[in-house]
Amino acid sequence: MTSLRLPLVIAALLAFGPAAPAAPSNEDCLACHSDRDLKSSAGKPLYVDEPRFQSSVHGQAGASCVDCHADLAKVKDFPHAEKLRPVDCSLCHEAESAAVRTSVHGQPHQAANASIVVSCKDCHGTHEVRKKDDLDSSVFAINVPDTCERCHLDAVRTKRGGDFVRTFNDSVHFKVAKKSGLSISASCATCHGSHDARPTTDPESRVARKNIIRTCGRCHAGIERDYLEGVHGKGYLKGVKDVPVCTDCHSEHAIQTPENASSRIYGTQVSAVCSRCHDNESLARQYGFLTSRLRTYSDSFHGTASRFGETRVANCASCHGFHDIRNSTDPKSSINPANLATTCGRCHAGAGPNFAKGKIHVVSEKTEAKGTYIAKIFYMTAIGGLISVFCVFIAVDLTRRARIRWKAKKTR
Amino acid sequence: MESQKDPLTDQALIRDDEVFLRMNFAERLQHILLIVSFTTLVLTGLPLLFYELKIFKSVFATARAFQFRGWLHRAAAVVLIVDSLWHVAYTVFTARGRQNFKELLPRWKDVRDAVQQFGHNLGLTGFLHRRGVGKKFFARHPFWLFEKEPEYGRYNFIEKFEYFSVVWGSLIMILSGFFMWQVELSLRLFPLWVHDIFVIVHGYEAMLAFLAIIIWHMYNVHLNPEVFPMSKVWLNGKITGHELRTLHPLEYRKILEERRKALEPESPTWS
Repeated sequence: MTSLRLPLVIAALLAFGPAAPAAPSNEDCLACHSDRDLKSSAGKPLYVDEPRFQSSVHGQAGASCVDCHADLAKVKDFPHAEKLRPVDCSLCHEAESAAVRTSVHGQPHQAANASIVVSCKDCHGTHEVRKKDDLDSSVFAINVPDTCERCHLDAVRTKRGGDFVRTFNDSVHFKVAKKSGLSISASCATCHGSHDARPTTDPESRVARKNIIRTCGRCHAGIERDYLEGVHGKGYLKGVKDVPVCTDCHSEHAIQTPENASSRIYGTQVSAVCSRCHDNESLARQYGFLTSRLRTYSDSFHGTASRFGETRVANCASCHGFHDIRNSTDPKSSINPANLATTCGRCHAGAGPNFAKGKIHVVSEKTEAKGTYIAKIFYMTAIGGLISVFCVFIAVDLTRRARIRWKAKKTR
Repeated sequence: MESQKDPLTDQALIRDDEVFLRMNFAERLQHILLIVSFTTLVLTGLPLLFYELKIFKSVFATARAFQFRGWLHRAAAVVLIVDSLWHVAYTVFTARGRQNFKELLPRWKDVRDAVQQFGHNLGLTGFLHRRGVGKKFFARHPFWLFEKEPEYGRYNFIEKFEYFSVVWGSLIMILSGFFMWQVELSLRLFPLWVHDIFVIVHGYEAMLAFLAIIIWHMYNVHLNPEVFPMSKVWLNGKITGHELRTLHPLEYRKILEERRKALEPESPTWS
């Protein structure tokens, strides 16, 4: 749309131009503005780099200076007045300007720096403005993080601060864009929107809880489908606010691949992520699931080894799956008793039906695992009894020896 | 002491500084292999039981260190298994091994010895007797006065108990550990809940063995004032005539008897 509109406007100007008194040409303007040392009385540089303008989207389309600096179109006497009206992009780019007006950038910032209102040129630049699929554009996907971070690292503090923004630079999204040059990777605008960027707290924001699944799913479509089929996704569709969405497990900015040791979903870290909710007593009561998942996992060899950094052992996701986690009663669930041999068999070659004859995550051995309960009671009694007998015997032996020594001293 | 009735002859037959071999080289090596494998097994196994302790986390800070721990544990287990098999073969196929085992078999005397030793150490009944309590009872059953220490043979009740503890413990640990090592085999043969018992038993039996060694064995062969700082039998296998007389009087007298008999045919010619 935008790419069509500009030539149309220019064509119209050309068609009806001659009727109006001749406006200053680009050459007229550049007569002064090609001087590199030209400055306003406030010391602001007024130099216009002509080649750069010519290679910009506006320059290539043949736009003249006064198309944007419209109040100069009728000026005859030069040099013109120093104070000009700000360029109004909405004359041509009406839809984008409207979107910005209702976005977070269209309103004065609520924090201390209330004076800052973001205008088009803050992101797109001025004379050098380029199309968003131009590699040199400040809004080309790979360059977007730099453009946004110009303000959001320091100058304009969002609610969670600049460091929260900075963690994006360690993320897989940022790295594949910067290092591998993958322009379809997610940049700020991919998730937050560009002209219509809204605060996270705004329910209409693309990154609000109720929209985040769709936002991530625009690229990760297969994962969105899996998620919506799982128990978390079904709860999400019902509007349950406590179900985890993408960001709850993957984090927001600092998303890493599961193979990255600093990732939240790295093999040894997964149990910490899941147990945030699954060991939460009040959530468990509300939604009727079992707690003590982390403790019972840690007590198993899988969990213990995982705590020591061993990644080859099973973590939550190895058995339960991840995006499409299902209730064990679901016949498609990886932990449905009928599927356990297959699930366990992924690591334990030749796993058979015996893998299902027992209980994982035993909370109360007395009721759930009588065999181990009896063994434990037997050993606790044996250990307690024998060690007490040993200690009493040793104590009595030592007192007798002390008594003999004491007597010997006395008689001497 | 029994030997006092004929001290001169006894001293001549078994001098106090005569050296007897209590543990031969094979037995000492079996014991050393047991020490090495047991210590390694405990050190590399405890982190799994006490995974919350910071010290274990800092010792096995990386996945590789943890994997090395597992490798070491299984290597030590192989040493223990080989050692056990050797000991069984030694006990079955050598005369000395069979004789040792016969001496180790528990008898009622061992229970009696344990009660007597404890009662003697406590000295409570003797104290009561001196105060005139239960005169009639003690007159009829002087055993309960525990006036003397029990006399031990080649192995006392403490040593017998420790020996059979090791036999029982090794059996349990090797069996349960083998199935934990070969978890796929275990779960082909047993349901998961049985395998879970192996895991629990392996951990608790380990704790029992560890505590028994640390408290009971260490007291009896190291900290006990009689042998402090250490009985050296496990290193040089030697025991003196004096030690034999005081610690194993029954064995001492047995040897004495044998030597006397050996002299007997010649004795008539003397008189």
